[in-house]
Amino acid sequence: MILRAGYFLKRALRNMRQSPVLSLASIGTVAVALALLAFFAIAVLNVQQLTASWNENLAIVAYLDDVPEEKIIKGWIKDVESYPEVAKVNFISRKAAFARFAERLGDDADLIEGLGADVLPASLEISLADDWHSESALATVVERLRKDHRFDDLQYGQGWLEKLEAFLLLLRVSGSALGGFLVFAALVIVANTIKLTLYARQDELEAMAMVGGTSLFIKLPYLVEGALQGLLGGVTALGLSFLVFQVILQKSLGSLLLITGIDTIHFLPPVWQGLLVAGGGLIGLLGSLFALRKFVRFGSS
Amino acid sequence: MIQLFNVSKAYQRDQNALSDVTLKVEKGEFVYLTGPSGAGKSTLLKLLYCAERPTRGQILVNGRNITRFGPARIPYLRRNLGIIFQDFKLLKRRTIFENVAFPLEIQGYKRFEISKKVYQALKNVGLEHRLSHHPLQLSGGEQQRVAVARALVVDPLILLADEPTGNLDPEVTLDIMELFKNANARGTTIIMATHDRGLIRQFPRRIVSLDAGSLAMDDLPLFKGTADMAGQF
Repeated sequence: MILRAGYFLKRALRNMRQSPVLSLASIGTVAVALALLAFFAIAVLNVQQLTASWNENLAIVAYLDDVPEEKIIKGWIKDVESYPEVAKVNFISRKAAFARFAERLGDDADLIEGLGADVLPASLEISLADDWHSESALATVVERLRKDHRFDDLQYGQGWLEKLEAFLLLLRVSGSALGGFLVFAALVIVANTIKLTLYARQDELEAMAMVGGTSLFIKLPYLVEGALQGLLGGVTALGLSFLVFQVILQKSLGSLLLITGIDTIHFLPPVWQGLLVAGGGLIGLLGSLFALRKFVRFGSS
Repeated sequence: MIQLFNVSKAYQRDQNALSDVTLKVEKGEFVYLTGPSGAGKSTLLKLLYCAERPTRGQILVNGRNITRFGPARIPYLRRNLGIIFQDFKLLKRRTIFENVAFPLEIQGYKRFEISKKVYQALKNVGLEHRLSHHPLQLSGGEQQRVAVARALVVDPLILLADEPTGNLDPEVTLDIMELFKNANARGTTIIMATHDRGLIRQFPRRIVSLDAGSLAMDDLPLFKGTADMAGQF
């Protein structure tokens, strides 16, 4: 069986060598289609990472114009912490807010040198409980806080989150649509490449059938050829997308997402890389199956 | 070995390529199939290797009704047949060795067996020195000899030859007839379509003659006149 597999592989490779232009066209189309899909996947993955981290840090900040006495603040904290959706409420004093800001500025901390430590407002940072990490819970808590007239100045990231999720959806839909179209195009091109090869070898196929070649025996090298072209296309797509990731995507996507607090931009995880290459193989295999389905019918008329 | 019962074949309505042919060929027989162009010789051979199906009638090969064979069984029937075509049908992209080896590869022979058998088959047709050439580098006669080697390398039960000497010079024709005679002597049943009257006269065997799709004559060459009659076509 292993010997047979070697035989079919050898014949598929020989077929590819005999029509290099057609083979390269197939490999190239699969590679371009899958590379574009990979770019979208990289973008979606990283934006998704951003929304996940934002979701995780869903919090409401209630700024306090006048800082009351500690005792009163403790009472407020106790009140808000009694909400079922709220996990914890932290009081950030003006001083603490300034220190945190200076820390975030890092090397640029000298920019705020000379400013008074009370330039930033004090606040209560309200984080949601694990079971309540949702936009609706956030909205409920905000609504309740608004009704409580002690807290006027409320800040929360709901608008941003909605926009980001809409962007993510757009990215997914457009990526799937474009990717789907390109994969279909790749499928048609691979099928046509194999079909052209079959037309060129019609006499040969007939001769094979006449000396007792079974349909599978005759078809298999072409199926292997299609799968090989697809796999090579998948590997090329992986290489291409990694190259583009290193040279362009990491910088452009990185600078876009760094503003938002994401510090590392990820390439496709290993499983996705495997899926990309396997997907190429599948496109090639299906393409040649389509071509052969109509073509090889030389048993008897 | 081969039996045809009232076999008809029409490619178009009301236009029979074969009409009501009944024929029996015994194991080990050598039969000439003669007749003018369009008489139905090639059609009859095609029916025997299942490239066509009869419109009516039944065909038995080696006791099995091949008219009922589905596409999956046909390749296995062909593995017991050696088929020689007038246009050779060689694999142009493959070497002579690979062409002759192909039927053995299909049948799953081991590599060393294939090498041995192919070399012997090519030696029998005098082309062992052309192993690594491609068909188009060979003359027509040499290509036909390769086709003969490919047909005989599997030791077929039946050899079907469609005008195998049609385009060959007399010397090569004699060589090929010798190969057929040897195969026949080893037990291979041979049906050979030809209209070469000289050949039939030189190697007298049973003659089955077709005319306009019907059986016109089926006779053993008991006297020279029969061969001459067949040669009229």
